[in-house]
Amino acid sequence: MPKPQENQILDALPSLERDRLFPHLKLVPLPLGMVLYESGAALRHVYFPTNSIVSLLYVMQDGASAEIAVVGNEGVIGVSLFMGGETTPSRAIVQSAGHAYRLTGNRLKQEFVRHGQMLHVLLRYTQSLITQMSQTAVCNRHHTLDQQLCRWLLLSLDRLSSNQLNMTQELIANMLGVRREGVTDAAGKLQRLGVIRYSRGKITVLDRPQLERLSCECYAVVKRESDRLNAPHRLSH
Amino acid sequence: MATASQDHGGNLLLAGLSAADRGRLIRDDPPIDLRLHQILSEPGEKVRQVFFPIDSCISLIAPGGGRELLEIGLVGQEGMVGVPLLLDVNLSPLRALVQGAGRAWRVDAAVFARAIQTPSLRVALNRYLYVFLAQLTHTAPCARYHQVESRLARWLLMTRDRAHSDRFRITHEFLAYMLGVRRVGVTAAASALQRRKLIRYSRGDVSVLDVDGLEAAACACYELDKKIYSRILTRKVSKNG
Repeated sequence: MPKPQENQILDALPSLERDRLFPHLKLVPLPLGMVLYESGAALRHVYFPTNSIVSLLYVMQDGASAEIAVVGNEGVIGVSLFMGGETTPSRAIVQSAGHAYRLTGNRLKQEFVRHGQMLHVLLRYTQSLITQMSQTAVCNRHHTLDQQLCRWLLLSLDRLSSNQLNMTQELIANMLGVRREGVTDAAGKLQRLGVIRYSRGKITVLDRPQLERLSCECYAVVKRESDRLNAPHRLSH
Repeated sequence: MATASQDHGGNLLLAGLSAADRGRLIRDDPPIDLRLHQILSEPGEKVRQVFFPIDSCISLIAPGGGRELLEIGLVGQEGMVGVPLLLDVNLSPLRALVQGAGRAWRVDAAVFARAIQTPSLRVALNRYLYVFLAQLTHTAPCARYHQVESRLARWLLMTRDRAHSDRFRITHEFLAYMLGVRRVGVTAAASALQRRKLIRYSRGDVSVLDVDGLEAAACACYELDKKIYSRILTRKVSKNG
């Protein structure tokens, strides 16, 4: 059973706040494709993933959707809550099955009022989310599908702390907002280069340095920012 | 507090604050003048100041490596530049570039950090954060899916709102940067809007001729931005302002 500390935000809390909050956490399984909330829906809970990945998708009027950020064990789903927003502007859908710890929105709001470490960590996490969303926009506009796939794989792997992903090409295509054939081509190229192995919906990274070299700068920008934002409270305990 | 509103008006976020909270941010200094193309912050640099535009307009630009970049936000009198400080972070990942010269209130980072310890001020600015984040949510999909012509129309409307004028100056080259497209793409889109008599555009001078028509030509993101803003912030502003 995953521990709360497997999520970096929960892990960053001082013991006083852990003692206060952890009894209220509920471990929930997140099966692939589960929708945690729809855009515009009320935010009743926030989720701290341990070994799952959740995609935040923007759904357009014509029903097309595009991923704007991925959240895993480095983050939390539902940051709008501390800003006083009761609804969320995006859809949150499970992209890689696993678990998350869930907390009620009310409990979290009580915690914010105390102005403790939780608020501080969430503020900083929001900054790294802003960076990820901005970089996704740049990437969408300027970079090739090959580069985008590399960025996406790296971001996802970082959030699982793993070198393996269970992922269909269909799902990747949905996340990147491209046709499935495009993903098949791009993944095929990476496979021929010996960078990944792809079989029966399982992607294994064989050569991580090469994957980073093939990605556009967007991955490095996001990585640098989230490392930097995580660093101080890592050191503080 | 009519005097305080007059003294510190011009920026809607500030106007929506109580006089006491506004006083925590704005002291005796007058607003400053921002020059066209002045850079307020570069990616990775320390954020030293927060700006509340009055009649100036600032582009927030994300780096993509080399010449590849994209405007991800446009801030005028409705907002503020310096969101990282609101998040207890003192480095900005974005470039803030003055795109419309004009005045702004400038607040020193240390003063700002002290001021937002006040819960009422923190709550008010957090609402702006929500708007900023909600608008950022559709930036990536807009850049991917929407036609250059619709994005250009949206951009012209946003600039018009912030410039408070139907006329402003902007070069094709700059537009190409902001929209992340090639110059020829901007030229074609601008010509199309001109043929439909929605704008006049010559030698860098833009005149908006038909606002309703331009709104119809813009992608849905323009309407959406305004809706999010008024849902979260306008109510507050009208109550206190």
